[in-house]
Amino acid sequence: MAITSTVSPDGNQVTIYIQGRFDFSSHQEFRSAYEKLSHAPTHYRVDLQGTSYLDSSALGMLLLLRDYAGGEQSNIQIVNCAPDVKKILLISNFEQLFDIQ
Amino acid sequence: MEHLDYETLNTLKQVMEDDFNLLIETFTQDSTERLKKLQELIQGNDADLIRRAAHSFKGSSSNIGAQQLSALCAALEKKALAGELENLTVDVARIEQEFQLVLTQLDAFH
Amino acid sequence: MNDVRRLKILVADDTDTDRLILESIVRKEGHTVVSACNGLQAIEVYNAERPDIVLLDALMPELDGFGAARKIKELAGDELVPIIFLTSLSDTESLVQCLDAGGDDFLSKPYNRIILQAKIKSFNRMRELHSTMLTQRDQIVQYNNRLLQEQMVAKHVFDNVAHSGCLNANNVRYFLSSLAVFNGDVLVAAMRPSGSMMVLLGDFTGHGLPAAIGAMPLASTFYGMVPKGFSMTDILREINGKLKNILPVGIFCCAVMMDINFRKRKIKIWNGGLPDCFVHRHSDSSITPVKSTHLPLGVLSNRAFKDDCEYIELEKNDRIFVWSDGIHEARNAAGEMFGEARLKQVFANNRNQNRLFDEIIEGVQQFVGGGEKDDDLSLLEIRMDEPERVNAYAKEASDRFGNADIEWSMRFEVKPTSFKVFDPLPMLLNVLMEVPSLRGFSSTLYTILAELYTNALEHGVLKLDSGLKQTPDGFSEYYRLREERINLVGSGYVRINILHKTNENGGLLKVRIEDSGDGFDFANRSHDNLSAFGYSGRGIALVEKLCGGVKYSGRGNIAEVDFSWLKDD
Repeated sequence: MAITSTVSPDGNQVTIYIQGRFDFSSHQEFRSAYEKLSHAPTHYRVDLQGTSYLDSSALGMLLLLRDYAGGEQSNIQIVNCAPDVKKILLISNFEQLFDIQ
Repeated sequence: MEHLDYETLNTLKQVMEDDFNLLIETFTQDSTERLKKLQELIQGNDADLIRRAAHSFKGSSSNIGAQQLSALCAALEKKALAGELENLTVDVARIEQEFQLVLTQLDAFH
Repeated sequence: MNDVRRLKILVADDTDTDRLILESIVRKEGHTVVSACNGLQAIEVYNAERPDIVLLDALMPELDGFGAARKIKELAGDELVPIIFLTSLSDTESLVQCLDAGGDDFLSKPYNRIILQAKIKSFNRMRELHSTMLTQRDQIVQYNNRLLQEQMVAKHVFDNVAHSGCLNANNVRYFLSSLAVFNGDVLVAAMRPSGSMMVLLGDFTGHGLPAAIGAMPLASTFYGMVPKGFSMTDILREINGKLKNILPVGIFCCAVMMDINFRKRKIKIWNGGLPDCFVHRHSDSSITPVKSTHLPLGVLSNRAFKDDCEYIELEKNDRIFVWSDGIHEARNAAGEMFGEARLKQVFANNRNQNRLFDEIIEGVQQFVGGGEKDDDLSLLEIRMDEPERVNAYAKEASDRFGNADIEWSMRFEVKPTSFKVFDPLPMLLNVLMEVPSLRGFSSTLYTILAELYTNALEHGVLKLDSGLKQTPDGFSEYYRLREERINLVGSGYVRINILHKTNENGGLLKVRIEDSGDGFDFANRSHDNLSAFGYSGRGIALVEKLCGGVKYSGRGNIAEVDFSWLKDD
């Protein structure tokens, strides 16, 4: 499975892991990972450790998550990006919207 | 110097309790043998054997509180160590005399 | 009997009176007594009963107290068995004899109960201290064995991660202790696809396992990135960021990293916190120091990290020497450090350049003196040479690059029946990854191809409208429609042309994608804005950033980009 997620024991943090290509094909799975939770978390982590490629539809999906999580009030970390993946995020100015580690 | 140190004797009596009589008996036997040995040894001229016998007799008599006896043994030990083996019969005779006195007094003590 | 437990005490005396008295005193104190009438018997009883304390008369028949004491101490081995001599000896010589034989104390006749009690108590305390000490000594030995065993396991793991790479190349010499990783020293080397060699010598602060911890991510990042063609600055940044994240404050890595280009006879070097490296010139034996101009790895956040490097041109047989501070700080018996002056003297005295490396090691070892271990010495020498003499990899890469102008192109067309079952992107990317110099750009190239192809397919062939993507539901609707239309598509195409040329400095990749759609009025197109954060509309802007521009032609159904790359060597 390309997308997996784990929720912290107190339910306040969800971590979404994306393996391989991050693009529109994982759109439904990605949405389910945060929309189907019984308890809305306060912290979101997107772990891109296993992500080799992403395109602009993935960027759109990250923005969907951000708006779902409260927009300006959201608390989203993007962690473990490979240098190239990070470059795409930075070119798109995503460091203004997300906490990119 | 007293022939017997009664303080030592009293302590011994306290420590030994019922065995005190056994101790006196043992001392009597022990010492009689040592005395006999000494009398034999001074007939010969082995200074070291004489010194050792006097040394042991000195130790056990001091333990029982026979201070004069112990002192006489010490004097004999010293002579033997120095190799002065003349007229030791006199020394041993004095030791025997003192030993008899100690025995009498020990008898009286218990 | 308050604080002394019940002990077993051996009383050895040939005089019945004395033995009787002593037995009674000892028994009265609450201890168990075992007795002997001469020295031989004392040894027998000791062996059978293993008493805690031994009271020995000095003069006894058969074997005297001195002989018995010696034998008993021997039998006791590591254990402390206090021996107290019972004596009416008073001359110093005899008392010395008692001590020489292993006696610990004397008790003189007539016996005094209080003194004997005090002695037993104090010797028992000593005995217990000794036994605690033995237990602790055994524990320390055990802990130490475990530590060594754990270190061996850790070293094994490390050796698997930090295999020696290409350190066996003909132009490389190095000296590193086998357990160097626990001194915090790490040396890794690997060949880049371009045929140049990357080397990193690092020295972590501290010793032992804490110093070794950082070596694992350093080595795995290094060996993960170098063969993929990443630039030295990318690799330095990646290692720096990793170390900064995982290491506690106060543990960091002084390092020198080099990219050695044998074709161009150039070295790119970054020194963060290691002593000056020496560039040694073959022609005149001069040395030029390369100073540290950066903070060590793992100190600064990547935002503040500086990756500017020095470039040095080398002639054949010029050498570069890199070392950790172990050489400079090696001390002799008088506590003096080897220092840079002595190091320079080694160079000054040198007559045969091939011996320089050995002379440095010998110089330090002679200075330190015999017996001392050279655990902390780490030394690396790299000699500039022709690629074909370095190793097979450098030769192969050189042959490949020697023919600088290589050109190829490919054309590819996706037809209506393929759209729903075939995604050409992985295949195209695989073709591009056959070019070693492009491997470092795989993510970027994917993004470029993906954006262009997606645009051609979704807008040109499927005629989807991005305007849908303004709401979360619209976003889903867009992809639902995409799915629906891709299953129904009966006409149209996407044509992909890729042209690749290399030159002396790098290469150019031209990608041209044409679709069967209606195109758009590209003359008046509004430029995508990367500062607005809608759910869509950022794809082409991203490509423009990555390629420096997108050129449209035809009716707006043809998009072309140039991705040019420079070899960073």
